[in-house]
Amino acid sequence: MENDGRRNFLGICLGGLATLAAAAVSFPVFRYLAPRSSKVTNGKVTILEKDMPEGEAKFFEFAGSSAVLVRKRGGELTALSAVCTHLGCIVQWEKDKQDFLCPCHAGRFTPEGVVISGPPPKALTKIPFVVTNGTITVG
Amino acid sequence: MKPLKYLYDWIDVRIGARDIVEKELTGYLLPRNINVWYSMGSILLVIFSLQVLTGILLLIHFVPDADKAFTSVSNITNNVPFGWLIHTCHAVGSNMMVLVLLLHMLSVLFMGSYKRPRELNWLTGFTLFTLVQGICLTGYLLPWSQLSFWATTVATNSVNAIPVVGSFLVEFLRGGKLVGPATLGRFFALHVAVIPVAIAALVGAHLFLLQRTGVSTPPFGIKDSSNPWKGDTYRYEEHPGGIPFFPNYMLDDLRSISIYLACFLGVVFFAPHVFFPATAFLPANPYLTPAHIKPEWYFLANYQTLKIFPSEIIGLAIQGAAMTFLALLPFIDRGAEKHPLKRPVFMVCAIGGLLLWIGLTIWGHYS
Repeated sequence: MENDGRRNFLGICLGGLATLAAAAVSFPVFRYLAPRSSKVTNGKVTILEKDMPEGEAKFFEFAGSSAVLVRKRGGELTALSAVCTHLGCIVQWEKDKQDFLCPCHAGRFTPEGVVISGPPPKALTKIPFVVTNGTITVG
Repeated sequence: MKPLKYLYDWIDVRIGARDIVEKELTGYLLPRNINVWYSMGSILLVIFSLQVLTGILLLIHFVPDADKAFTSVSNITNNVPFGWLIHTCHAVGSNMMVLVLLLHMLSVLFMGSYKRPRELNWLTGFTLFTLVQGICLTGYLLPWSQLSFWATTVATNSVNAIPVVGSFLVEFLRGGKLVGPATLGRFFALHVAVIPVAIAALVGAHLFLLQRTGVSTPPFGIKDSSNPWKGDTYRYEEHPGGIPFFPNYMLDDLRSISIYLACFLGVVFFAPHVFFPATAFLPANPYLTPAHIKPEWYFLANYQTLKIFPSEIIGLAIQGAAMTFLALLPFIDRGAEKHPLKRPVFMVCAIGGLLLWIGLTIWGHYS
């Protein structure tokens, strides 16, 4: 009986030590594998206004994700997240139809990001921008 | 504890888990005079597992391209969180694996455990030893540092001494006339795919043979009432009244593994550069040979042997003969006596050979 008590006590001590060792190993491995925070250059992207002709769209990296700036026919600018709200594919600009198509499951969006058809549950996220002295600053 | 017992019962009624535990763990009896040297195999299994784990982690950030390899290793060491720890563990672990493997082989030699019916255990173990040297050699090139580049140049060049096919073999090993991007590609494939799979398969074979023949009885201490092999028919070497593997000897194994880990982590944290000269931290330059380039410590004796003979082919032939002699030792040393003090010829040869190897290693280091 006394031996059993001692055995259990040692077993618990060993288990505790093994748990501590596992935690000590897991933390560095987790930190090694965890994605590093992407360095966003003060969160802003600048594009020259002259590089955005009417009816065209420009894709760029923004805050570690994909974004698109589109100038509609008539001159109006919109900045949107290019990530489809259905399953995360990147939408494509269809110049002839003047809308966005997600090639994964045929979701369609207007140039303002509103869903026209297909499975996307909500509109593309809008991104704020300003235009000053011929430069468009997104973010 | 009830859910665990329920789970154990659930598995047991399906696959007979209790039978396996009884046969392979609690009912698996070891000689009563078993000693700490029998833990070397378990320590080696832990080291190999750690090498595989840290190797997989390094693969996430390592780029096997001659233009990017050194930068990717620098990035792992300097920028990736805990990358220095993973890299140092892998590099120090490879050296420790060779060291513990040598100790394992020495204990097997001195306790006569290589003798019949364990010839196949020795042969698989000896092949594992050469494979471990191979995995160390191929891994040495991957950081693409001055040390790795020139040590590989010297190591692969020694094959040149083989008559007739030597120069072809060197070119085949390197994938070109000189060590270059092609060498990195083939060494990378060997290091991460071919040799680890071969090692894992041979470890499996080694353990299978151990399981079939039974643990050898040490020649020291109290007499064990074992059931030794007579050579007439297959017989598992049982140890009636011996020590159960679980939990008794497993705790001994855990103690030895803990002592090993303490030594290993001591090197990793307090002397991480003990195995690495300054040239290990400079990018490879194929046009600038550093002075006094040397191979890893475990190849220093081979390196010095090649240097002291006027003809490289003699040096290579002597090394080949020594390796063949060691590999075939159970077929040469056929006596039944296992106690080292009752084997004077063996003791003279073994201690003489060991001193010669140590002497050549020290000579190679300072030459």
